[in-house]
Amino acid sequence: MTAPALTAGPSRRTSTVFVATGVVAAGVVTLMGGMLAMWLNFRANAPTRVASDGASLIKDWLKKDTAVPEVASNTMMFTFVIACIMAQWAVYSARRGDKSHTTLALSITLFTGLALLNAQIALWLQMEVVLRTDAYETMFYAVTGTMFAVIASAMVYSLVAMFRMLAGRTQDHDVLAGHALYWYAVSGMFAAMWFVVYVQK
Amino acid sequence: MTATETQSVTTTSHSMARPLLAISRWLTAVDHTRIGASMALGAAFWLVIAGVIGAVLGVERADVSGALVDAGALTQLFSLHRFALVFGVAAPLMLGLSVWMLPAQLHASNISLPRLASFGWWAWLAGSITVLVSYLANGGPGGGAEQYVELYLLALGFVLVGLAAVSVAVATTVLTRRNGQRLADVPMSAFSALIGALGVALTTPVAIGTVIYLWVDYVNARVAFGGADFMDNWLGWVMREPQTLLYVVPALGILADAAVRTAKSRQPLRGVVLVGVGIAATVVLSSVTQQAHVFTVGASPTESLQSLVPFALFNAVPLLSPLVVIGLSLLALKTGKPSLSGAFVASFLGAGMIFTGLVGSAAMHIDALSLVGTVFAEAALVYVVYGAVLAAVGAVAMHIGTATGRALPDVPVILLSLVGVLATVLASLPHYIAGFLDQPANVAKGYDDSGIVGVANLAVALGHVLMVAVVALFLALVAKSRRGAPVVDRYQAQVNT
Repeated sequence: MTAPALTAGPSRRTSTVFVATGVVAAGVVTLMGGMLAMWLNFRANAPTRVASDGASLIKDWLKKDTAVPEVASNTMMFTFVIACIMAQWAVYSARRGDKSHTTLALSITLFTGLALLNAQIALWLQMEVVLRTDAYETMFYAVTGTMFAVIASAMVYSLVAMFRMLAGRTQDHDVLAGHALYWYAVSGMFAAMWFVVYVQK
Repeated sequence: MTATETQSVTTTSHSMARPLLAISRWLTAVDHTRIGASMALGAAFWLVIAGVIGAVLGVERADVSGALVDAGALTQLFSLHRFALVFGVAAPLMLGLSVWMLPAQLHASNISLPRLASFGWWAWLAGSITVLVSYLANGGPGGGAEQYVELYLLALGFVLVGLAAVSVAVATTVLTRRNGQRLADVPMSAFSALIGALGVALTTPVAIGTVIYLWVDYVNARVAFGGADFMDNWLGWVMREPQTLLYVVPALGILADAAVRTAKSRQPLRGVVLVGVGIAATVVLSSVTQQAHVFTVGASPTESLQSLVPFALFNAVPLLSPLVVIGLSLLALKTGKPSLSGAFVASFLGAGMIFTGLVGSAAMHIDALSLVGTVFAEAALVYVVYGAVLAAVGAVAMHIGTATGRALPDVPVILLSLVGVLATVLASLPHYIAGFLDQPANVAKGYDDSGIVGVANLAVALGHVLMVAVVALFLALVAKSRRGAPVVDRYQAQVNT
């Protein structure tokens, strides 16, 4: 007697949270991408004038006495690498059923985000750019302020993922994968912003 | 107290609580029917505003010596008209309909992320009403009241965030709740809703970034973006073609579905229809450049080619999208049992109007025609938006039977669609003609209003009023269908489109 063939089980449902995070992350990329494109456009079209020596042209963009604190901005860039590693560690630990390491990874990601916000505030204070006279000032605060908000949103995601883990939803691997994806996207956009705003200026 | 008195008191308290309960249920709704219907009704409210403003502006421009509207308010009125058409009507209407229709099409119980969609609906509603208030208080682009100009920017940001939130929910629904169907097998309405939602989710953040720049600049130095008078210059691309095609892409899917359901056939070239709808996604590339791509005949063939390529990519290629869908919908109708249904007539005429608007927009981007800066652009926008409204009529006619068990009779829907297309043509075609006669955009003075131009503006005013009447009558028809005798739902038989 042969055993009756079993019917196929339901197909695995695609993760709603992961897909939605992907769409939101793409939106974040276009948000920052659009802002950086306008930054580049304004910088390229900044008015030029002849210097006092009469021999060279000066582009009215970044003021001569405005210095970008490279230590703070470079530290932020490297901190993002840590955040991404921690977010991926959370995914790895969750897949192995290691709740304590998952929670630890998420909490480090959260605090890394906090450190990033702190570094951004420190950078603003050190630069002492005042919103008064030119396009650079406006665009600098608009771009970095938006990035600040985006980092804060990633922290909220970390916090929610951590609470879910602590509450016992240890099988929500897709939420953690989505969380990691979001941090990757935010890191990628910060890298672009870092290069355009802090390196190329 | 007798038993009768007790019952009376209880009944009174129940009747008092009932409206409160209904309001509370509506406020906290997370089911697709209520969210979608609320957005569609909100869009109908904005259509009335857009229609009234369009009529007032038409009358105002018919006679340059007249002064129906204060000259200082004209800039804001033109700006509000564009906002009402795009972010009041086209975008929320199509997204709302997508939310309303999708679960039934995908055999799902609800949309994905319903709370996000609910947030999006409320953010859009609060934002759009605040935009209206800011305009009324002399805010908005060109406004003189600083606080209300700031409020306008914040409210516009809210509107964009709301639309983006709903589009994320719509896109996620199609991508994750197909119940085993391949993406290529889902109904065309669902596929076009996905394309439109992804387009909105990817382009509204770019607009949000611009709003942030404008707000920071306006609140502080006002040296980079030129203040209130130039806001529409920076944000103009969000409210003109081809970007508007992304908002109304679901209209094409509605037509494709209506054709096969009406003819009870299968689409013989379904793959080509999918590609046709997908072509609309090329608009995303155009939008993120935030520029108009004008074709200019250069001094050399190379120069002309350099101008032609971006023009063709960003203005001509999107034309293929409605063209392919309209053509293949007729083919589907021919291969089945050709007949006319309310849904097909409304969506076919709607898609035709959208196509006409896009053709006009492409023509406007040809430098030799000298149409930039004329009323031609306004006409193209009205064609696209009112075309989407007609397609929405078709969508409601097609799906209301499944949603409520009460289908709409064909004849009134067809008649309303025909009047609707007359209204659309009246509200836009005269401005195509006036555009060729150099009537400038956004002003009511400084041109010759004698002859055709004056009559054209009056016809535009009439068209807007007629469109408001069509929508009001259609809503009355929907309301009546819920009380009258049931009508046979000809779209019930599910066919793989």
